[in-house]
Amino acid sequence: MRIGKIISISNLRVDILLDSKEINIRDIVWTEQDGRRDRFEVAQIDGGVALAIPLNSVNGLKKGLDVYLQKGGLQIEYSDQILGRVFSAFGEPLDDQTIESSGTKNIYLKNLTLSEIEIDGDILWTGIKVLDFFAPMQKGFKMGLLGGAGVGKTVLIKELINNVYKGFGSNSVFVGIGERSREGKELYDEMLESELLDKLSIAFGQMGESPMARSRAVYSGLTLAEYLRDEKKQDVLLFIDNMYRMIQANSEISAELGHMLIDNGYSTTLLSDVSEVEERINSTKDGSVTSFQAIYIPADDLTDAAVNAILSHLDGQVVLDRKMAEKGLYPAIDVFHTTSRLVTVEKVGQRHYSLVNEVIRHLSHYQELEKIVAVLGIEELSEENYNIFYRSRKLRNYFTQPMFVSEQFTGIPGKFVNVADVLDDVEAILSGKYDDEDESIFSYVGAIPKT
Amino acid sequence: MKGYIDGVIYDKIETIKKKKNVYELGRVLRVHDYILEVSGLESASFFERVFVTDKAEGYINHIGRNSVTVVLVKRSAPVYVGDEVMATGELFCAYYSFDAIGHIVDIFAEDKMRNQFFSNRQKIDIETPPIPIMERTSVNRPLHTGISGIDLLYPIGRGQRQLIIGDKKTGKTQIALDTIVNQRGGDMLCIYIAIGKTKKEVKEVYSELFRHGAMAYTLILAAFQDECAPVLRNTPQAGISIAEQYMMQGRDVLVVIDDLKQHADNYRELSLLSGKVPGRDAYPSDIFFAHASMLEKGCQHQNGGSITILPIVETKNGDITDYISTNIISITDGQIVLSAKNFEKGQKPAIDFGLSVSRLGGAVQAAELRKLGATVRRELLSYFETRVVFELANMDEMGAELRDKMGRGKEILTRMNQYKFEARTPQEMVSLFEELVVVRQ
Repeated sequence: MRIGKIISISNLRVDILLDSKEINIRDIVWTEQDGRRDRFEVAQIDGGVALAIPLNSVNGLKKGLDVYLQKGGLQIEYSDQILGRVFSAFGEPLDDQTIESSGTKNIYLKNLTLSEIEIDGDILWTGIKVLDFFAPMQKGFKMGLLGGAGVGKTVLIKELINNVYKGFGSNSVFVGIGERSREGKELYDEMLESELLDKLSIAFGQMGESPMARSRAVYSGLTLAEYLRDEKKQDVLLFIDNMYRMIQANSEISAELGHMLIDNGYSTTLLSDVSEVEERINSTKDGSVTSFQAIYIPADDLTDAAVNAILSHLDGQVVLDRKMAEKGLYPAIDVFHTTSRLVTVEKVGQRHYSLVNEVIRHLSHYQELEKIVAVLGIEELSEENYNIFYRSRKLRNYFTQPMFVSEQFTGIPGKFVNVADVLDDVEAILSGKYDDEDESIFSYVGAIPKT
Repeated sequence: MKGYIDGVIYDKIETIKKKKNVYELGRVLRVHDYILEVSGLESASFFERVFVTDKAEGYINHIGRNSVTVVLVKRSAPVYVGDEVMATGELFCAYYSFDAIGHIVDIFAEDKMRNQFFSNRQKIDIETPPIPIMERTSVNRPLHTGISGIDLLYPIGRGQRQLIIGDKKTGKTQIALDTIVNQRGGDMLCIYIAIGKTKKEVKEVYSELFRHGAMAYTLILAAFQDECAPVLRNTPQAGISIAEQYMMQGRDVLVVIDDLKQHADNYRELSLLSGKVPGRDAYPSDIFFAHASMLEKGCQHQNGGSITILPIVETKNGDITDYISTNIISITDGQIVLSAKNFEKGQKPAIDFGLSVSRLGGAVQAAELRKLGATVRRELLSYFETRVVFELANMDEMGAELRDKMGRGKEILTRMNQYKFEARTPQEMVSLFEELVVVRQ
């Protein structure tokens, strides 16, 4: 159905003079010239003029082109056919296979109501020492993995896919937003090779793609996850790498629409954009959605508005620190900011809870001692401080871990560590059992051998 | 029959239009440096190439309700209000000649040393669609730079994007040049893209490469500092498009972009002058996308060809956590960080081993370098970490184990030193470092 014509074009915005009132925000409209079809999503309606955002490049577009309405808006496959498949942000299959059924659904759905949401679940161990110890996970939780550029977010996400998805036995969804296409393809290849692809569906809007692709990939991915939760009644794992990129894409779009921007150039609708997505990621009585969300920290600024907007929705966070990465200690976590809602006496028990507190006390004290030692030398420390200093260094080394997914890089095979072992080992180090050992034997090992 | 005749007449008119140069015309309404507001041009398309009489060339950057905005890429005489603007019916593009290898050219395929256009130049799209995710394959073939600190510790593979970042005068360009020169005798094609460099600097790069026999397989694509910002804005993209042409023929291409910070600053200028809303640090909101869409062209293609990109970014005061730097770090597959402090201490190349990263690591290394490299890197980082704490401690009072570790670390660091254009082969690296460490099996 023809709804109007183009009257103005810029990089990320097309103005359409309407001659039909049958149009809504988030409708998809299209034009055609020389056999090429361009699609736009309506973002704003100003009386007789609609502002629309192009899904792809606008180069070559002309004023005066007729604009037509596409029925149904952005849709994605909503059937069993999603498993083992890869979709674009706009719901189109990217692998060469076809989809026979036509069960599709619009990617924008209304959020869950309070009564529909379930909050209870079992503890979910990941086999990664720092996560299980400082920030344990529960089914239905949202865990954020935060870090600046190049400190190891993606490796951690991949390790989680390796450890949790493989042991979980349920279907999963991976959403790639604004990240490297190379890594996306590698994930696909690895899953295909290890015959795990049949339980995973993937949606990609990677960093080389248009802002709309990056902004909408998460909606497509959520629709896939909702299918598994609502129709298949399953517990679903949802991996999102990287949530920040959605906000970034939104601010690109927002700037072109001429909206007023808030600090650091984020869109005015930052908070509502995040809520709209995060509130959809929840568990219901039919099934749980457990999500791991990588969050990029721009310019290493942990107080960034976008990062905090996402954090306010999460149940736990693992923060990666450049200073640790610089020292070659991976996963490079900042223990002082890494936590989860599960770290309470009621949930993990008195012993685990006290050990976490004790380790943090040690490491915090160590930071102060490090400065003293750098100036006065180690000999000047009292015996108590001397013990804290060396035990902290051992703890720090102990919390490094060889990862399965970085075996090719480190040359050390990955280790899955049971939380019971972690608690025993930490307790032993703190009690001074290993005071005579050299600290380097604690680096990149799994659990400490019991002998 | 009537349809047929209409068709014939339409085709005829089209050819007449083209031959007689009867194009759509507009008039300049407003001149703002290299940005023009033009009335008319009702049926021009976005990004279409236009000429302002014979004085200037540009492209359409925005189509408004009553006028269009044109940005100029070339200007031989001042443009005045009322000047005639002619649309060409084709999109703005770069030009390139496949004979240009060995020369310094700009995006119009002009040989800058001879001041002549190549006769067989052909069109190159500036913006090309992203390389489909399913056409990429894993990056696993090494690209040797000849520098131990890189090949051994933070290796680069064909199809990898590895950032070179550091302050002014820390040897960023030198690492790129070393890498290009080390490709001699191989099958790699190199493209050095200079953005906002002075003419003198570009000529120096040329003579350096020429002296080492590297110009035989190298193209220098330059946009000098005194050119219009839109040229600087589009040159790296055009360079990558050229690389893409070669990759699609199955060739391995190495692209150096020197440098992206300059590119970001030029893009900011263009954006602010065009009246776009400023984002973080006044950069345009889509600065990340501008860099990402370009660097994402770096890949190992399933047809066997590859594009390896070494973008360069200049920092201030060694701060790699500013906006543009972290943006690019988060796009690339790793970074070589150069530190002014190391440079002053005499460590050349002045690589900061703690901050440098290769996300591909061992996957792109030959087997003998992989095991050794991982061990040497661990030793070295652990040495740095220990050194900070025990800087003041008396070496004699240390335990034997600690003393050994400190000694080994120091020796590794010394052996990393290499003067420019003193490439080492992987075998030389193995024999140099193997005796220092115990490789964990």
